[in-house]
Amino acid sequence: MMKLIDALQIARREPAPGATPLAVALVCGFSPLHLQTFLAANLRLLFPDRQVDVQTGLYGDLAGNLERLETATVDAGAVVMEWSDLDPRLGIRRLGGWGPGDLGDIVENVRAQAARFRGLLERISQGIPLAFSTPTLPLPPLSFMPGWRASAFDLALRESIASLEISVAPHLGLKMVNSQRLSLLSPPGDRFDVKSELLAGFPYTVSHADAVAWMLARLIRNPTPKKGLITDLDDTLWSGILGEVGVDRVSWDLDHRSQKHGLYQQLLRALAEEGVLIAIASKNDPGLVEEAFRTANPILPLSRVFPVEAHWGPKSESVARILSAWNVGADSVVFVDDSPMDLAEVKAAHPDVECLLFPKNDDQAAYELLERLRDLFGKDSVSQEDAIRLESIRSAHAVAEGAPADARSSDRFLEQANGELTLAFAKDPPDPRALELVNKTNQFNLNGKGYTEAAWRAHLAKPDAFLLLAAYQDKYGPLGKIAVLSGRRDGRVLWVDVWVMSCRAFSRRIEHHCLAQLFERFDAEELAFDFVATPRNGPLQDFFVQFVGGPPQPGLCISKKTFFEKCPPLFQTIEDSAHG
Amino acid sequence: MDDVQARLAKCFTAVFPELPRSQIPAASLTSVKEWDSVATITLMTVIEEEFGLQFEPEQLEQLVSFPSILEFLRGRKDD
Repeated sequence: MMKLIDALQIARREPAPGATPLAVALVCGFSPLHLQTFLAANLRLLFPDRQVDVQTGLYGDLAGNLERLETATVDAGAVVMEWSDLDPRLGIRRLGGWGPGDLGDIVENVRAQAARFRGLLERISQGIPLAFSTPTLPLPPLSFMPGWRASAFDLALRESIASLEISVAPHLGLKMVNSQRLSLLSPPGDRFDVKSELLAGFPYTVSHADAVAWMLARLIRNPTPKKGLITDLDDTLWSGILGEVGVDRVSWDLDHRSQKHGLYQQLLRALAEEGVLIAIASKNDPGLVEEAFRTANPILPLSRVFPVEAHWGPKSESVARILSAWNVGADSVVFVDDSPMDLAEVKAAHPDVECLLFPKNDDQAAYELLERLRDLFGKDSVSQEDAIRLESIRSAHAVAEGAPADARSSDRFLEQANGELTLAFAKDPPDPRALELVNKTNQFNLNGKGYTEAAWRAHLAKPDAFLLLAAYQDKYGPLGKIAVLSGRRDGRVLWVDVWVMSCRAFSRRIEHHCLAQLFERFDAEELAFDFVATPRNGPLQDFFVQFVGGPPQPGLCISKKTFFEKCPPLFQTIEDSAHG
Repeated sequence: MDDVQARLAKCFTAVFPELPRSQIPAASLTSVKEWDSVATITLMTVIEEEFGLQFEPEQLEQLVSFPSILEFLRGRKDD
């Protein structure tokens, strides 16, 4: 964890020239002191390109600070609630009474305050993304029972908080601190600094302030989850060397003391069902691997895996082929293997791949690996696109394998695919999938610019702004929502600020169709693109070349006449989404 | 500058980044305009971390300058 002196220095580091501001409101009822410093430092580390400004409110007025947040111009809020915000008698700076006669009133007061905060949080999180921490400090000794015994009073207070948490949890704009993880970072007995609370109105120990800030900053950052996991087989997915012990003797259960492999498979299956791509890279006999999956019935079935690279060649080459089949960047992928040598070989060839050791001889470390994987792949929700991702990758692979090289054959191939493009123009409220695509798509991305939730909402709230979210399916299966275009209208010119398309949708001329739709729907004479070349948007640059005759440059414009003169035949049918 | 003085100066630099290094040895509550109650708490916490000690509230009233804090730390080391 971080020391205060380091946090002070990090928080005051000069931002890069031209850094855009990141204003975050720290909303609490106590003196923000070191929590403000640690939050600024953690945000600075997580947003190296932003100029972080952590703003604070008034002492002793959590509800008022929260209400004022509604009209504040900030990118996010970090709301930190403590017991004394719900009833001052639950703190140590007020002497309102701890007698048996006070307890019932405190419970009622906490219930009423929790209900009030619930309404405020629900309302404000619709406009500003919030990170929220419910009380983390121990309750003071005001129940008449000994401290080792849970009292009805304590339980009633905790029930009020649990109800509040359950009520606000479904709100997409509000993300809550996980108390279990906080307990690992900051043991409950080490959190309360009585001296600091009495002296300065700041109740947290330095280490607890650091832990709370660490978690709040991650909730605000909401890192993009990894997309794919490549796993080894022997002594990783299962216990035993398949080629040595045979199909019948590999195991992943309690009886063979190999349960950690079963747990690993169970997590991988869950990840696959959540839309994470799972592939195998194993030095093995491919026939034996196929037989093992067919006869031994692993918890992770072969139907959830694509592709399988089982042979005796270097694993780095397997990883390269898997990345190509998935069409994702190496930095979106995790590789898990029990062999440090294989991990090192893959890391040397693919430095951006996150390589993790499967600790085959250490149950505790294996469990910690599962927690680490959950962190790397954790996401806000599981969407329809997640459920069909693997199948659409398989079908994209089939399309790529079967797609002819010459234009005339391509036309015939696309024509027989029976493609159907479904367009949605609704922007209030925006489909959360749109922002997800914008922030995680790299290859077909107009400029690589990411958006916070607040910035995205502000962008769409402009009166002339438009949003197009396109979904696609053909006879090979659905791809789900795969493209986003957004920008603004200015007379007959349509400014396109955002354009991303999933790599799964390449080679179908969906990108052509999207632009054709913009010209027609908005009666535009010209599309002006906020184009910026990035190290990874080569596929988008290649697309533009066919219209401008050379490498695209910033300020890129395409007229309606040029577009339709050069656009190849389009075969998909167009549907308007029933949901706008 | 001995080790204790150098480490204490590092604490002052972290809390008062605008204070020129040459002025740190003479810095005091009255000479440093940024030295308010919040800065006092921050400075004392940084010093507690750096030197592995805990100040008592009543000590804070005495520790109002670089020299007084340095004297306190040296006295503590001599104990």
